[in-house]
Amino acid sequence: MTPNDDAPTGAPRSAQADDEARARAEAEDQEALIQRRRFLQAGIGVTVALTVTGLSALSVTGSLRPIAKITPQQEPPADGDILVRADDTTRVVQASDIPVDQKQVLCYPKDPKSGVVKNGTDNNLVMLQRFDASQLGPDTTPHAADGVVGYSAVCTHLCCTVSDWDSKNGWLLCPCHHSQFDPRADGKVMGGPAPRPLPLLPLRASNGQIVVAGGFLTSVGCS
Amino acid sequence: MFSWLDERLALSRMYKKFFRKMFPVHHSFFLGEITIFSFLTLVLTGVFLSINFEPSIRMVQVGTKQLPAAYASVQFIDSLPFGMVIRSMHHWAASVFIAAAFLHMIRILLTGAYKKPREINWIIGLLLLSFAVMAAFTGYSLPFDAFSATATKVGYEIAASIPVLGTWLGQLFFGGTFPTEHSIPRLTAIHMIWLPLIIGALIGAHVLIMFLQKHTQPKYAEKVAPGKILGVPFWPQQALIMGVLFAVFVGVLAMVAGLFNANPIEHFGPPGPATPTVKPDWYFLWLYGFLKMIPSSWHFTVFGVYVGPEFIGVLIPSLLILFGFAFPLLQPSKTKLRYLELPSEHPVRTATVIGVLAFFIASTIAAYNAELSLSTGFLWFLVLLGPVVVAVLAYLLLRAIYPRREGASGD
Ligand code: FES
Repeated sequence: MTPNDDAPTGAPRSAQADDEARARAEAEDQEALIQRRRFLQAGIGVTVALTVTGLSALSVTGSLRPIAKITPQQEPPADGDILVRADDTTRVVQASDIPVDQKQVLCYPKDPKSGVVKNGTDNNLVMLQRFDASQLGPDTTPHAADGVVGYSAVCTHLCCTVSDWDSKNGWLLCPCHHSQFDPRADGKVMGGPAPRPLPLLPLRASNGQIVVAGGFLTSVGCS
Repeated sequence: MFSWLDERLALSRMYKKFFRKMFPVHHSFFLGEITIFSFLTLVLTGVFLSINFEPSIRMVQVGTKQLPAAYASVQFIDSLPFGMVIRSMHHWAASVFIAAAFLHMIRILLTGAYKKPREINWIIGLLLLSFAVMAAFTGYSLPFDAFSATATKVGYEIAASIPVLGTWLGQLFFGGTFPTEHSIPRLTAIHMIWLPLIIGALIGAHVLIMFLQKHTQPKYAEKVAPGKILGVPFWPQQALIMGVLFAVFVGVLAMVAGLFNANPIEHFGPPGPATPTVKPDWYFLWLYGFLKMIPSSWHFTVFGVYVGPEFIGVLIPSLLILFGFAFPLLQPSKTKLRYLELPSEHPVRTATVIGVLAFFIASTIAAYNAELSLSTGFLWFLVLLGPVVVAVLAYLLLRAIYPRREGASGD
């Protein structure tokens, strides 16, 4: 092709070319529009799919943490409950069963009306001890029955059962990390890592029997 | 036969690529292998245990007694021929795994083998140790006797004491507030499926990377044959040594397991209301010592989030472990390490490692505070100052015994 060839036919050809170019541009616009639409559609689709998957995944993850059901055996001790020995739940505890100044006796509350022994959770473990009334501190005395005091047996450190007795000092002793508590003075921490005193369980006496006079004064458990 | 397989599996190519890998000869190089042997033993004995174990705490009638099903099934395992021995082997192999992995790590530390290019394997190694400890812990819980229930309960409460996330995480891994009917099945799945898979995969990666990067060479190799790789090839020499060692390992372990029954469950009986007086296994004692040392007054509330002494007791050791992960990354270097460094030529590092060991020993002593009637104040003194004193002494001794040579670096 020479430049001369091109010159005479230049004008009409350029008009034609313009048309073509316009058509092409329009087609491209159209194409771009369609692409944009597709992109939007795909975007919406992906978002919906992700949301659905995410929600389902969330509900599965949520279900990994089981729902805590509270059975009658797990109900906390309440006013009027009697106490039975943890090692033999048929034996009701009398004040006279508890030796003075000795190792704690582990018990569970029992609802006398329904007959349910509330031993469904360690949080209901109560330990009983008996002291001479003169030894009890001023905050402890009103909640004691005939010198018998009751505390939650769940250590406030990491929830072991406070089942040992340090007879030398007269302190309750947790076997896990050696926290010590004074049962005469509100379950105060005397040593070891436990952050809080043991929760006190108010008691009263009725015909020689020990009866719960209300729920634990502070919340039971650790951390 | 061989050519038939070779045509299909390209065995000779694999042989040339991997089976001629040189293994340096040095007794301290067997610690990693012992770890693998104990893993194999754990898997083999674990298969036997898993097919006889019942992961449930439902009460079942055994003779005149009501016992948790898991507990009863462990009694059943013990009654099988060699059942007790196999269960003990499983227990002792776990101890050996952790001990060997730990000593292996100390060897790596003392000889500088964690340095470039082997940082990745250092991190994988620490991950392996952490997962091994988790596997040991979840394994504890399964027999569900009074001991395991107590230990697992404490583990749950430690997890739950993590601020904000704790309760959720604890309930996720322990199937609700331990113990619930979901707890043992979930811990079983973690102990028998997921942790072994993770540990197996990590061991695979660890060994593969070691094959690709090659062992660090012992120092003597530099003098004997500088620039060359010294050692025995994997196949057949090293494989033979390993085979013999594995046989010896299993033999000794079986003997120990026969003589010393691990965790006889009747000793503590099924879980009851009282907590038995127990200590965790030796590899948890340092953590346990820490838990006992933190005084009760160490608790505070930030933005309504309670942080108590039980969390601080695990926070300090976890920070230590995190630091361990980052350790090789804190020492960037241009060159790649080919030859192991002699501990005597790096007195600062060696003394620090000895100090860290002293720290573990001191916090383990703290676990026995009641038996030794040591006061908390003294324990803090021991745990904080003891390691420093030991490290300084070690440094001075090293310096006195190995005078500084020309050109030796002092790090
Ligand atoms: S659980 Fe009682 S002292 Fe730690």
